[in-house]
Amino acid sequence: MSGTTRLSFSTSRRSVCISVIVLLVALSLFASACGSSGTSGSSTSASGPRVELVVSAAADLSPVLEELVPVFEKQTGMTVKTNIGSTGQLTEQITAGAKVDVFLAASKAAVDQLAAKSLLVAGSEQQYARGRLVLWTRPGSKVTAKNLQDLTNVDVKRVSLANPDHAPYGQAAKQALQSAGLWDQLQPKLVPAENVLQAFQFASTGNTDVALVALSLVAEEKGTYTLVPEELHQPINQTLAIPASSTHQEQAKEFVAFLTGGRGRDILKKYGFTLPDGG
Amino acid sequence: MGWQAFLISLEVTSVATVLVVIVGTAAGLLLARVHFPGIQVVEAILMLPLVLPPTVVGYYLLRFLGNGGPVQRIFGINIVFTWGAAVFASAVVALPLMVQAARSAIRSVDPLLENAARTLGSSEPGVFFRVTLPLARRVLIAGAILSAARALGEFGATLMVAANIPGRTQTLPLFIYDAVNKQQYGVVNLVVGLLTGLGLVAFIIIGRLDPGYRR
Repeated sequence: MSGTTRLSFSTSRRSVCISVIVLLVALSLFASACGSSGTSGSSTSASGPRVELVVSAAADLSPVLEELVPVFEKQTGMTVKTNIGSTGQLTEQITAGAKVDVFLAASKAAVDQLAAKSLLVAGSEQQYARGRLVLWTRPGSKVTAKNLQDLTNVDVKRVSLANPDHAPYGQAAKQALQSAGLWDQLQPKLVPAENVLQAFQFASTGNTDVALVALSLVAEEKGTYTLVPEELHQPINQTLAIPASSTHQEQAKEFVAFLTGGRGRDILKKYGFTLPDGG
Repeated sequence: MGWQAFLISLEVTSVATVLVVIVGTAAGLLLARVHFPGIQVVEAILMLPLVLPPTVVGYYLLRFLGNGGPVQRIFGINIVFTWGAAVFASAVVALPLMVQAARSAIRSVDPLLENAARTLGSSEPGVFFRVTLPLARRVLIAGAILSAARALGEFGATLMVAANIPGRTQTLPLFIYDAVNKQQYGVVNLVVGLLTGLGLVAFIIIGRLDPGYRR
């Protein structure tokens, strides 16, 4: 380069060589670590490659799946990959052609929307739980939030909720605040999150004072929660379906049967879900 | 609503760029003119945001600015999820570009000229503002433009530390993200076109500022 004042990232040749070597070593270590875990994984499966199920789940199910998936994997020998997001985002992914085996939505509307576009295995839709919206404050918080009206108190500076545009718990929170006549007044305090799990994370790290989130996320957590009266919002009818894009529809049905069977119901109940009748 | 995001982007980028130019030029001067032990480590730390995942930068900022972080403990304020946090995020990711530009700009100034000013009785600030700065001007301006463009485009760390609040912290990149989620492609195309155009203009100006540029 002739111009010394050129805007460039010129580094001396030696340090470039050193960084390349460091990168290569790091990459090879990483590859060998992955390789060894890969071989040990395949050696345990008795018959051929393990089936890998992709389960797209609404964020409120995160703790449920953390408990349920290992049990299911142990019992069936399958591997489950969970894809957590807001129901709206997951619906978008499926519409865009994502290969998903089971879709666990937090609403009925999302599943209806996919069914209308013939993107589901016909008749696979099923309500598996009804969720509850809660007000939650972290352990040791000085803020009291016993009802929605408390959110107007001066010591409540920020309230996180899931994004009402694409997350069912966010929609429910918006409806509840509208029913209580507080939606407009609380605007300056509201911090919408990508999904209900992030809304919870905002409050659990203390960056918001109160979270309007799913009971399932806080049922087994420390901190204080208060149920938001259900008549203030549309029921959160959590509905599942098997997308037509699934390449393992039989195994997907097995997963659904497990979730809606005895063990799955026990776990859903533990996290505060109301279950449909039938056992 | 897109208009709101535009204004927020404009404000956040302007404030972040001013901060970055001041801090980045000072750091560039330090790196170019002062030799001290550990200089390479300092340089590496300043460059880090260029290669770190935005989530890592976002996490550091959350720890630094958020509840229980040093900023809250020392100043008693928590700017997470505010406009200020968006400025921080933009500034941190843009800083390496300014430091790099400032360092090479200042290195290119012949120390003989600075020394001549000193022997003629100029004070150190006088040397910097009347000799070094004018001679390094073009590359510093190019660095500032590049930093501003990067600050305008910041997304990942902003989403983590400032969230995505329409009318408060939602900048243009975040607005695009939301609008795509809502499938509002008309306005998406408009904003995408605007940002692409701004990026092109930025690089054309930077190219013209290059001392090697022949018109």
